[in-house]
Formats: sequence, C-alpha cells, structure tokens
Amino acid sequence: MVLKANKPKRRSAQDRLSDAATSLCSAALAMNLLMVIALLAVLGYNGLSYFWQRPLVEMHLAGSEVVLGEIHERKPTVDAEAHRVRIKTGNRDVTGSDFRWIDERDIESKSRPESAMVFERMEYGNFYGTIDSLHREDETLVHGDQAWPALQRMLKQKRGEKKSIHRLEKREMGKLNHRIERLRIGILRSDDPGLREQKRVLEAEFEELSQQLFSLRDTYAAEYLVMKTGDGIDHRVPVGDIVRAIPANRQSVLDKAGLYVSRVVEFVVDDPRESNTEGGIFPALFGTVMMVFIMSFAVAPLGVLAALYLREYAKQGLLVRIVRVAVNNLAGVPSIVYGVFGLGFFVYFIGDGIDRMFFSEVLPTPTWGTGGILWGSLTLALLTVPVVIVATEEGLAAVPRIVREGSLALGATKFETTWRVVLPASAPGILTGMILAMSRAAGEVAPLMIVGMVKLAPSLPIDGNYPFVHLERKFMHLGFHIYDVGFQSPNVEAAKPLVFATALLLIVVVTFMNLGAIAVRNRLRRKYATSAV
Amino acid sequence: MKPESFRTPRRRLLSDRIARGLVSGGGMATIAGILGILFFIFIEILPLFGSADVALTARFPLDGEEPGAVVVDEHRTHAATFAADGQIVVRSLATGDVTHRLDSGIDPTLGPWKRIQQIPGEPRVAIETAGGDLFALTMDWTIEFDEATRVITPDLSRAVPFDFFDEETARIPLQQFSLAFDDDGAIAGAAITEDGRLLFARQSIEEDFMSGEETTVWERTWREAPGDVSSLLLDRQHTNIFAGTESGAVIWWVIDDGEPQEPRTAENEAPITAMTFLIGDQSLITGDVTGRLGVWFPVPSEGGGDRLGRIRGSTQQKAPIVGLSPSPRDKGVLSVDASGGMALYYSTSNRLLWSGNSPVGASSVLYYAPKANGAIVAGADELALLDIDNPHPEIGWNALFGRVWYEGYDQPERVWQSTGGTDVFEPKLSLTPLIVGTFKGTFYSLILAIPLAVLGAMYTSQFMHPRLRRTVKPTVELMAALPSVVLGFLAGLWLAPRLEMVLPALVAMLVIVPAFVLLAGVGWRSLPNGYRHRFPDGFEALLQLFVIAIAMFVAFRLNGVFEAQVFAGDVRQWLFDTTGLRYDQRNAIVVGLAMGFAVIPIIFSIAEDAFSNVPQNLVSGSLALGANRWQTVTRVVLPTASPGIFSAIMIGFGRAIGETMIVLMATGNTPLMDWSPFNGFRTLSANIAVEIPEAPHSGTLYRVLFLAAALLFVFTFVANTGAELIRQRLRKRYAQL
Repeated sequence: MVLKANKPKRRSAQDRLSDAATSLCSAALAMNLLMVIALLAVLGYNGLSYFWQRPLVEMHLAGSEVVLGEIHERKPTVDAEAHRVRIKTGNRDVTGSDFRWIDERDIESKSRPESAMVFERMEYGNFYGTIDSLHREDETLVHGDQAWPALQRMLKQKRGEKKSIHRLEKREMGKLNHRIERLRIGILRSDDPGLREQKRVLEAEFEELSQQLFSLRDTYAAEYLVMKTGDGIDHRVPVGDIVRAIPANRQSVLDKAGLYVSRVVEFVVDDPRESNTEGGIFPALFGTVMMVFIMSFAVAPLGVLAALYLREYAKQGLLVRIVRVAVNNLAGVPSIVYGVFGLGFFVYFIGDGIDRMFFSEVLPTPTWGTGGILWGSLTLALLTVPVVIVATEEGLAAVPRIVREGSLALGATKFETTWRVVLPASAPGILTGMILAMSRAAGEVAPLMIVGMVKLAPSLPIDGNYPFVHLERKFMHLGFHIYDVGFQSPNVEAAKPLVFATALLLIVVVTFMNLGAIAVRNRLRRKYATSAV
Repeated sequence: MKPESFRTPRRRLLSDRIARGLVSGGGMATIAGILGILFFIFIEILPLFGSADVALTARFPLDGEEPGAVVVDEHRTHAATFAADGQIVVRSLATGDVTHRLDSGIDPTLGPWKRIQQIPGEPRVAIETAGGDLFALTMDWTIEFDEATRVITPDLSRAVPFDFFDEETARIPLQQFSLAFDDDGAIAGAAITEDGRLLFARQSIEEDFMSGEETTVWERTWREAPGDVSSLLLDRQHTNIFAGTESGAVIWWVIDDGEPQEPRTAENEAPITAMTFLIGDQSLITGDVTGRLGVWFPVPSEGGGDRLGRIRGSTQQKAPIVGLSPSPRDKGVLSVDASGGMALYYSTSNRLLWSGNSPVGASSVLYYAPKANGAIVAGADELALLDIDNPHPEIGWNALFGRVWYEGYDQPERVWQSTGGTDVFEPKLSLTPLIVGTFKGTFYSLILAIPLAVLGAMYTSQFMHPRLRRTVKPTVELMAALPSVVLGFLAGLWLAPRLEMVLPALVAMLVIVPAFVLLAGVGWRSLPNGYRHRFPDGFEALLQLFVIAIAMFVAFRLNGVFEAQVFAGDVRQWLFDTTGLRYDQRNAIVVGLAMGFAVIPIIFSIAEDAFSNVPQNLVSGSLALGANRWQTVTRVVLPTASPGIFSAIMIGFGRAIGETMIVLMATGNTPLMDWSPFNGFRTLSANIAVEIPEAPHSGTLYRVLFLAAALLFVFTFVANTGAELIRQRLRKRYAQL
C-alpha cells in the first residue's frame, strides 16, 4: 500500500463560516481589551493633563472685546458650520463664571502676550491678567516691569507669614480650643468650680491669641496687586491670596516641567480649597488609607480565624457545608446591604448606646451615634470578611494533607502544626485575600456614604490633640470625593479635571495593590512551595 | 531513650487547648456575626407589618357638662371641653381636676349654644347660639419653661362672628353648616337653609393701599340644594363643598370664582351619617348607616371633567357611624359607631389598623391628638384619654407592591415618592418601580456583557496561544478591580454627553464593525501561510483591536451623514416621532455600557476557567475525527463547559443587581416603571443610598429601605445559590468524561 500525501484540504463553506465566526469571537475579546485601553486612555489623558499649564491666549473679538485665558476644548458649533472654543477666563469674582464658549468666527486676532499671568488663588479660582503695580496699603511700591521680581520676593515672604498664621491658628489655638471643649464637657458632668476657673483662664489665653492672629492677618493682607484683566479693567488681588503666580507664556520647557511636578506634589500633599474644586486631596487620601488600615486590623484576625475554624477545627458535616455556602453567598451580597446594616447596627444601636452611657451630657449631639471612621472601617471589614475567608480557605486547602500528617507524626500538637506549618504555607492565599479585601475597600463608596463619609472633614482623624486618634470623626475618602465633586459640587465644569486626576490616582492605587498581591502571591508560592511528596 | 521524653510537656498541650478554644470561639463568633447581619435586617423589617394599638390611659368624670366638642394640647396634658351652656372647661389630664374656666367672649344673652361643631382636623370649634348667631373659636396653647418643667396654659382666641346673612336679608334657620379657615386665616362657610337652599359665604379682609385701612368684605351666593342633607363640609382651600344626604347620595359643588357651580352627584348606596376630611382636605371620608367608611376624591370621568369617585372603603363596623376624627399627621381616621365601637382606619394602604370599643360609648365627640399619638373621647359624663401607637400605617402588601389610587391621581398606579414638600404629603412607597428599575439595569448591562465576556472567554481559552493568554487573563482580571465609582463617573460625566451626539454612529457601528471584522478575518486568512505562522495563534485578536478601532472611527466620522440620511437630521426627534420615546442624556444605554464593563471581567474569569477545565482529550478526539476548530468548540467544548458558563452568568447577574455607584451617577435616578432604553431608572440599591441618610431612625421609610436591602439580599442569594447548585449538578453529570 502506498500512502499518498494528502493535498491540503480546500476550504469548504463550512470552514469559511467557522472562520467568520472565529473572527467575531476574536473581535469580542478585542472589544473588551479596547474598552479597557480606552478607559485608561481617557482617564490618563484627562487626569494627567490637569497638571499641565496651558499657554495663555489673548483674543480680540469682533466688537472690541478682549478675552484672556486658556483654551480647554474645541467643538463644532451647533449649526456645524464652524468651530467654537471653550476658554477658561477665570476671574470668577469679576465676571461670575470660569468658562466661556467663543465662536471662532468672532475672533479677529489671537496672540500670546509675554506679560500675561495666571494666578492660582485661595478663593474664587484662577485669575488671568497682567500686572499693573504692587501696593502696600495706600503706598505704591513698584510699577510695571519691576513688579514681577518684586512679587516673587514678596510671595516667598508671604509663604513664611502664612506658615506662622497656620501654626498659630491650627496648632496653638486649635489645641487651646480642644482643651476648652473638654473642660466644657467636664463642667456639664460635674459642675466643678475649679474646672470653671481653668476654663476662664484658657478662654482669656484664647482671646489673646485671637488678637495676635488678627494683627498677623492684617499684615498679611496689607500688600496687594493691581491687575489688569483682558478687558483692561483694574482689579485688586491681595498678595496673600495668591498660591502660585505663573507667567505662563514666558516659561521654558524646564520651567513647565518643574511646575508640573510641583502641582502633582501639591495634589497629593495639600488640603483642598474652594469647596473641593481646587488644591489637593490629602485628607481624602489620608482618610482612605487610615480606613483601609483599620479595616485590615479587623478583617485579618476575624477572617483567618473563621477560615481556620471551618477547615481545621470544625466537624465536617452538613452544618459546615451550609455555613460555607452562606459565607460564599455573602461574598456576593451587594455592598449597600452592608452599609444599611452598618448604619442600623453600628451607628444607631451601638453608637447610640455608647453615647447614652459615656457622652450623655453632649446629647442630642451625637458623638459615636453618627457616622465615623471606626464604623466605616468595621462595615467594610464585614463586607470583605467573606472574601478573606474564602481566599484563606483555599490557601489552607492547598496545603497537602501529607505535610500536616507528617508534622503530627513527628509529635507536634495541632496548634503547633497549624501555627508553624500550615499557616506559613497558606500565607500566599491569606495575603492574596487580604490585599483583595484592601483594594476592594479602597474602591467601595456606597456603604461608606451612609456610615461616615463627608464631603469636607474639618480635621483629620489623627491629630495632635489628646487622645490623638479620633475614631468617631467623620472622614474623607477618594471614591466619595469623586462622587461628590463630580456630581454635587456647585461648579462641575471647573471641578471635572480635578476629578479625573483623583480617579486616576484611585485607579493607580488600586492597580498597585492588585499587582502587589499578585507579585507577593507568586513570590510566596515559590518560597513556601511544598514539594509534592 | 527515657520514657519521660515521650510525654508531651503540659505547656504545649495547654497551648493547644487554648488555641482550639480561641479558634473555635473566634471562628464561630465571626460566622455568627456575619449571619447576624441578615438576622438584624429582618428584625428591622418586622415592625412594618404590625398593627396599631389603641389603649385607654385615663378616664375622668365630667360634672354634667355634656360637651359638644373637645380639644387636647400636643403634649396631652390638658383637655378643653365646650358645652352647650356656654362653658369652656379646661382639665388637667394627669389629675382630672379643672384648671381653667375660659370665657368664650360670646354674649350669654344670645342664648345657650344650640350646636357645637368641631372643624375637622383643627383645634377650632364653630358654635351656633339659640338665636342663630354663628361664632368660630380657636383653642391654642402657650408653652413656657419654668426651670426645665413645661408649663402649658390654654389660650382661647376671641370668638369670631360669622354672618351667613347680611343686614338686609332675613335670617333663615340653618339645617346644616360648615365653616373653614384657609391658610391666611380667612373664614368661609357653607350652609343648607331650611328652605332647601345652599348658601356659600366668604369673608375677606381688604386693605386699602393708600390709607392702610382694613375692611371686611363679604361675598354670599345662593344655590338650590336637596332637602335631605345630613352632613355638610367645606374644605380649607374654600374650593369644594360636599354634602351627604339621607338618600345615600354625596353631592359635590366646585366653587369657582366665589360661586358654587353645578353640583355633581355620586352614589353611596346607604344614607350618610357622618363626614370628615383627611389631612390636607383632598380626600373626603363618609360614614354611613351600615357602618361603612368611604374615601372619596375627584377622578376623571368619561365625558371629560371630573366626578367624585369612591376610591376605597372599610366595612369593619356594623352600626351607623356617629363620629369621625382625622389624624393630623397622616391619612388615617378614627371612627365611632352607634353601638360604641371604635376603629382606626388608614386610607392609602386601605388598612383597618385597630378596632375595639370606645370607653365612653357611642359619642360623636372625639379629637385626635395633634401628634397623632393619642385621642380624647368625651361622653355625656366622662372624659377618656387614649394612647395610639401607630408606627407604620402606610405599609401593607398592596401599598408596597400593588397599585394604589393616590390623591390627585387619575387612576391607581405604582409610584415611589417617599417625601414631598409639605406636611400633608401622602407618602407613596411602592417598591415595584424600584424592582423594575433594578432588573432593567441588569438586563441592559447583561445584553452587552454576556456576548462579549463569553465569546471573549471562549476565544481566549480555545483559540489563543498560552503565552498570549497569560497576558490577557490578568489584564481582564485587573478590569475587575476598577472601582465602580470611577466607572460611574466616566459614564455620567464623560460618556453620557458624548453618546447623545454620536447616537447614529452607535447604531451604524452595529453594522460597520462586524463588516470590518469579517473582512479583516478574510484578509488575515488569505495571507500566505508563511506570514501567518510567524505570529502566535490568537494574534488575530490583536489585529481585530485595530480593525475595530478603525471601524469605530469610520462610524463616528460618518455620524453626521448617517444622521441626515437615516434619521432625517435629528435622531432624537426621529425617535420621538416614530416611537414616542423621549431621550434622556443619562439613560439605560449609558448604564448598560458602564455596568456591562463592570460585569464583563467577572463573567469572563469564571467562563474562561470553565472552558479551560474541559478535558483536553475531548478536544483532541474531536479534532482527530475531522471537525475543525470552530465546530469542536461549539459542539464539544461549549456544552461541556456550559455549567460553568451558566454559573458565571448568574454571578454576573448577582453583581449587576447590587451595583450602586454606577447607577447613582449614570442615570437620572428617576423611579420610572418603563423598559425604554432611552430614559433613566432608579434601582433598589441607588434608592437606599440616596434616601437612607435622611430617613428618620425607625420610621416607616427607614424600615422600608431595610426591606429593600433584604430584597436585594434575597435576589443575590437566589442567583448565587442557583448558580452553585446548577454548577454542582451539571458538574456531576459531566464528571465521568
């Protein structure tokens, strides 16, 4: 028999159809990847471009109006004949709005004046204009070209003044205030004349410091600039109001890069201003991190203990199977249900009980009977415990029975086996569970909305006042920040770039945690890999 | 080897024992805690389905006053009785002693008080003297604090005279009358005279702009009326007059421009014996001779205009109704019948909350306390104070899930509107729109997610090179970690405005993208084999990435052209003209895209695992028998993996049901009961997030939101457990392979 080599098969109609179907499948996968890429691209572009300083453009419009600002967007006009641009003109205290749409057909000439400046301010958003002169109270100090270097020197000095004001206000007066408050509560409790006297002394001290603060503030506000807006109107800008003065059109690439970095740092390290539409997100970042921290402390022992119990110590029967099913189910329960439970149980039941027992003088103002970082962390701990239990159980199950039996055979007690052999071997699983829990907690907003988050917390949960850690305080959270600033701020257009930056930061944080989980898991797997016996 | 060294030291055994106790205790506590969540939620729901309780707190004898009306203050410390001999006596409800005797200011020479009528729902009394003079009195209370104790003193207003007849007209005796004060304090009155006519009189105070002088202006209008009117009511807006007759008819006059218009009649089938208004004066309550209560308000009639419709009623009591008093806080009413029976009825949920007996027998003198936490009833010689515990009258099975005919609506409907701007608002707590919204969001997101995730998983698992798979799988898993806040934010603020503008392109994409994909596939395969084999299997997916991007770009470019050609230039107008649907910027399509994005990685991971777990020998066998790759996958792998696929979909379903943030940010959050993809919706979860911070602790809304949370739990429980059971069963079936 001679075996003939087969000719390559001709593609039948059947095959062609199959190919088409396969193409569609691959397209489905490609669509998924495209969606992820698009999302990251949109977020990345919008988030990162928030920090980049755009050039300042001066436009002369038909009708002799002059507009100075940054171009943010370019869209076709409603009748699709031409384009219009969205300019950030700032100067909210002069014109009332930050942005303007200008039809390109109305623009007669465009230029980038060298002397144009943009100021980031404490209030009313950015200011765009040119410097006319620098004043101190009624005295004109410098004019025109010399004003810019003089301003730079003065800004440095202002920064120092601002620091001392801040220290006086926040630290010294804040501390006094805190002590006065505690005395007030003490008086409500016991009406001790000694306490009253102390309170009077402290209040007098506070008055003195207030006077100091007022005079400091007066010196601080003494200097101001007279600026010319695009239209040539004069406007006074107090030097103390200026956070950053940027001669945008005179900057070199190096300058711009330096500005970019400084803005990124400010974003992460500074407090928010202007009702969360400007400044930094440090309190939100801090709140998120602290909450995740507290939550991990709660979740780790609970989850590991429960998983250990289920797998090692409980009698494996119907009851344990039911419990396991229940725990698996709870991992899929919507987070809002946990939020509702947290509100009803932790806040209204336990919190209220604590208030009644220990803080009854301050009632009806709640101390623990309202949302706070502790209740938020505990609610999230409950939310993520099932995840940790499941992951730990899988980790425990991955340890071969042989290893356990070997340890027992060598004379170790069950506890010692668990502690020294099983737990380290299942550490990858436990850690994976923990990090998954933490990254989930960093991103969950819905339950926290109900149990303790606020749009603007006056102080951090950790500060310099006794008892230093205030777990009953409300806190800020990155995720809630996104929701609140994006949807409930009075000026969504101005705030949107900041929200993009915050969203980008949140995603970066969560992604890093997950990648970290994967990396740790891989490393520990290799380290503790028990060779098959 | 010494025997002692074989014995384990005590310390180690002890620590083992302790560890066992700790782990067991801690573990059980944790598990109990988690399960306790469900327990707690269900406990918070239970009170919703309880009834009210009316209990006697105190009773005091009266010394022969036979009051015609009684009023109590909001803290239930004092009661004021109005008797026919002109005496207004205030008693302390703690001791029963008389604390004040008040002067009504009505001239005693006008004679004893022939009729004393309580104005429904208000601490005001209308008095008719023997001589036919009418006065209105308002009972007010001043509250002062004397070193943390509350001191309440009665403050009776000066009697305001009301003249149905002007100086010229002769007075005709009134058969029935009803006075009403509007929000500005102006009084109006309706009366049926003994000669069978309806009289409407309104007093208004006009202020002269120049001199500031105030003059009282009276408007009086006459109409014909039937002769057998047994009760008459004027509402506080001075726009409607209702009369109940002994022949069982309810007559309604609308007052337009100060004049009662043509009457409209409705049938009650039994003679009316008592009438009152529910709070807000939108609904009329009638009690008839058979003991039935009826709730009436205007509804559209066939020929246009409105008629008075009998919306619902209660049939608990069997004797003629003699007294009615509406609750001042909700849509409830207390009724007393001729046999001395008493009942508490709530209109909206059509619930008889309590029935029992009045401690003073069949007296028509009763007053619902201002905080709706009690009532006072007065008999001929006795006064009784009742405690009413009525936490959740608005809830009933029908109120939560069925259609309810709310005041001011044209027909019974399912509505969620938990609060309104006024005190007299009728809370509408139907969960059905929210449940429909929840499933609507889930539906639209699964339509997008299931094909993309399952087909993508199939491709990744079966057609892709393992090396490429190792990068794709974690990428998709990272997708799962993206917080839904970010997705919701992008959907609401970035996608929604843009989608509105490229809607035609989106429709075009459904055709353009598959066309490009197929062309590219053909192109790929017609490349010479040498080229193709340079790239790993599954590289086609990456190629398709670019192809899809190009196709989408083309579709967006052609957006304007497409819109002009197919949609006559304006897709939203075209949509409205063709289907009558309105397009909202934040709608179900946007949510479908965002929530689909959130759900895809979950379904993908589980489905991909399911596909990969199919034994390789099956695949090899099928290929060996001559099937091509696609046929193998669809006819062998897919059925084998179907349990896993199914369970993946169920788990995705469970996740989509509970999603809160995306829905909150990307829909209009309007509780519509509508499946159109072009408008918004509100889900159970978003509703909870929005409303629970403002819900008063342990109030009805609070518990209903807990009920919504419990429903969410039940849905996800069913989905997850169903998935698990089916997966186990089907896995056993395919296990022998």
